[in-house]
Amino acid sequence: MASNAHADFRSRLQVWLPKLVLSPSLAMVLVFVYGFIIFSVYLSFTDSRLLPSYGWVGWENYSKLWRLSHWEISLTNMGVFAVLYIGICSILGLGLAIFLDQKIRGEGFIRTIYLYPMALSFIVTGTAWKWFLDPGIGLENVMQSWGWTGFEFDWIKNRDFAIYTVVLAAVWQTSGFVMAMFLAGLRGIDNEMLKAAQMDGASNWNLYRRIIIPQLRPAFLSAFVILSHLAIKTFDLVIALTGGGPGRATELPATFMYSYTFTRNQMGIGAASAVIMLMTIAAIMIPYLYAELREKK
Amino acid sequence: MSVASQDTAIRTGRVTRMLIYLVLLLFVLFYMLPLYVMLVNSVKPLNEITGGGMMNLPQVFTLEPWAKAWSSAQIGVEPTGLRPYFWNSISMVVPAVAISTVLGALNGYVLTKWRFKYDTILFGLMLFACFIPFQIVLIPMARMLGLMGMAGSVWGLVLVHVVYGIGFTTLYFRNYYAVFPTELVRAAQIDGAGFFQIFWRILLPSSGPIAVVSIIWQFTNIWNDFLFGASFAGPTSQPMTVALNNLVQSSTGVKEYNVHFAGAILAALPTLLVYIVAGRYFVRGLMSGSVKG
Amino acid sequence: MGFLDIDNTTKSYGAVEVLHKVDISVEEGEFLVLVGPSGCGKSTLLNMIAGLEEITSGEIRIKDQVMNGVHPSKRNIAMVFQSYALYPNMTVGQNITFGLEMHGVPKPEREKAMHEVAALLQIDKLLDRKPGALSGGQRQRVAMGRALVRNPDVFLFDEPLSNLDAKLRVDMRTEIKKLHQNLGTTIVYVTHDQIEALTLSTRIAVMNGGYVQQLGTPQEIYDKPANIFVATFMGSPAMNVIPAKVEIENGRPVACVALHDGTVTTLPFSQDNMAEWQGKDILLGVRPETITDEDAADRKSKNIAHLTNRVVVTEPAGSDTFVSMTLGNRDVIARMRSDAEVRPGADFTFAVNMEKAVAFDPATEKRIPA
Repeated sequence: MASNAHADFRSRLQVWLPKLVLSPSLAMVLVFVYGFIIFSVYLSFTDSRLLPSYGWVGWENYSKLWRLSHWEISLTNMGVFAVLYIGICSILGLGLAIFLDQKIRGEGFIRTIYLYPMALSFIVTGTAWKWFLDPGIGLENVMQSWGWTGFEFDWIKNRDFAIYTVVLAAVWQTSGFVMAMFLAGLRGIDNEMLKAAQMDGASNWNLYRRIIIPQLRPAFLSAFVILSHLAIKTFDLVIALTGGGPGRATELPATFMYSYTFTRNQMGIGAASAVIMLMTIAAIMIPYLYAELREKK
Repeated sequence: MSVASQDTAIRTGRVTRMLIYLVLLLFVLFYMLPLYVMLVNSVKPLNEITGGGMMNLPQVFTLEPWAKAWSSAQIGVEPTGLRPYFWNSISMVVPAVAISTVLGALNGYVLTKWRFKYDTILFGLMLFACFIPFQIVLIPMARMLGLMGMAGSVWGLVLVHVVYGIGFTTLYFRNYYAVFPTELVRAAQIDGAGFFQIFWRILLPSSGPIAVVSIIWQFTNIWNDFLFGASFAGPTSQPMTVALNNLVQSSTGVKEYNVHFAGAILAALPTLLVYIVAGRYFVRGLMSGSVKG
Repeated sequence: MGFLDIDNTTKSYGAVEVLHKVDISVEEGEFLVLVGPSGCGKSTLLNMIAGLEEITSGEIRIKDQVMNGVHPSKRNIAMVFQSYALYPNMTVGQNITFGLEMHGVPKPEREKAMHEVAALLQIDKLLDRKPGALSGGQRQRVAMGRALVRNPDVFLFDEPLSNLDAKLRVDMRTEIKKLHQNLGTTIVYVTHDQIEALTLSTRIAVMNGGYVQQLGTPQEIYDKPANIFVATFMGSPAMNVIPAKVEIENGRPVACVALHDGTVTTLPFSQDNMAEWQGKDILLGVRPETITDEDAADRKSKNIAHLTNRVVVTEPAGSDTFVSMTLGNRDVIARMRSDAEVRPGADFTFAVNMEKAVAFDPATEKRIPA
């Protein structure tokens, strides 16, 4: 600035006001998000148990964590859950979006029904599926009372299959949303290009395989990022649906962290597991957000 | 809904179309199934459910489960029903939504119309805060609420939801204001309007749609939250979701499935109503949280 | 000291200087047009006068008051924007008086000023409408009304006509010119349209790459362009720039130019000092309208040269016919009367008014002064 001497008070205030207005939000985020992250990372290196304590133990919590079979089960479950959840949601979402994009009568109504689960709490979803899948009163019982006496469906009570019921409920809740994302992507594709391809003699199958689906890459990317971050954060659904059981059959890192921190009084280990969750999400989200914000410029 | 309804150029044959309708219809049934289960079983006596009649329409219609879930079911140790928790949720959601939306609007205004060095980085920091696994902040937050004397209070939950919601509200308003003509702001500056006058007189009158998006999104998210409620609420400030979970998981006595279903619907009703009334805006919020721009 | 002084003003974004030492002094009542291609810095300069962008170095003064760091609303300026920037939620009347309201002018005075301006611009019937219900031309008027009502020292126009269709643009151009003539206001006007610049201004600053290429009256800019950029940017079709060599013939300097078949013809200069360039290459600048048929040649000119060349294409454009040929290996356009008998592929004898021709130094691209 060459000569600020002429700037009056109001002009100077106007220069600072925007930053002043932004600062409370920024301060909150810096303290409650980044400050807390640092604090949690610090705790993961301490001997905190019931309450935070500040005895430095180095990597002990992490090495303990990786020796815990409970943690190993959580990670394995996470892997199974994430792969199936993301995969099924994407395929189902894309398929339904393509079907809905065929000048369907009542499209608005169908879309509304596909999407409403997204408005529900995972606790509600969990409750509904919990009792529907319960062999005592739910599907199994219904089928048997309808005369199919040999019918068995006890996945939710079965250690080997319970995780798939979590996948089922989670897919039910979010696949409609993924469908909407793909539908928006489909609607963004230039129709003239499709007409040109049709004149080139492309069949519908080829049209989708060679032209349309490759152009949905941004929608696939968004869907992957959103779904993977939802998968890692999945907590309420498991609590409501299975409570992590039977046994530890549906424990996920989020429930692991919660029970180690708040019910087993192993805060140091809980913090270490939270740090690992954060790192995983950061590895996915940061490049994505970076790319999104860069494009905007 | 916000998805543009442009027709595709793709043409399909008769048989294919029949199949498509069939598949779409099957999925309508799939998505409606849990809602159907909840609804029919919330108005029938318990013995109809346990007798294998979960999928049947009620033989005896009763609103007893609803009344019980609302006002007399055992939640934790008190037979209060969900009613007090419903009001807890309301008194938590309303201020949290209002504060986070106002802050988001101001932030979006500053980040688009008063740009400064590193503003994108600051926004990135705020946005990333929406996506962190909240487990990472649970322990320090519990400590902080204790230090601030807000542990177990509704206001503590309000604070938590504002902090972790402003990333999204800022995102909405920022994207909305980014396409708001900057020349209008400049014209108002020359006309002598100050920072807040420009916001109040020029931008805010045009912000209706995005404010609705932001309010609906925040309302749905905060109402449906379980993790923060379970971690930070005291016995007298628990939100609806936590109370519902307590009701369903309680291991004492007979499991009253019909009451559970009625309770679940009660917990879902506010957000479901919002979705039915303003689904367009809800979807817009969902979409701009994922596919930006 | 002028009325509005732009004194050695520069603008940088970080390490990148986008506006280099601009020095313009505007007198009261002048109509200064800043013209140039997009990205030349003209809008940045206007925004700096308005106070919407900071000045990196140098000074901007209005009525001898230094404006650096002064809030836009305290500079006593008004601005008309390219998009008009009408507040969509306010009526036309509210749009016009918003600035007065912000400056604390009492309501009766605001109303009075509004009605005066509305009458002047013939928008009195629109005062209760919202901008969304107006046509492009009406919005344009409202935007001008909003500027006029403030009775500012300086009016700033940022490409105000570029969103209008061709016909309306010409009408509004005339109207802005009338307004300036009647009110005698000081105006700084940004445009990329060289015709607007020539028709409206009392002075033009032609800008490119962050530099003022030339500052002068429309006539000076058109007849004596400072360099090849100004020569080709101003005027449509653009000035022909033909590679030529200077020789002396019969004691006078002449330009030797290759015809379509490679044979060389000579065109005598009117400027004696071109003799200093004997044996050197230059670029000859000839405006299309100075190449005609014999009958249409300027009778007042003392230096009409003739050349016979092959016609490549003729483009009838109503009042004129544009004829293109190859001279010095470049496409050269001549602007002929519409009844000139020119056939593509045939030879034709052109009359060139060499009094109007200019010469440029090919190394610096600057005009060689007469």
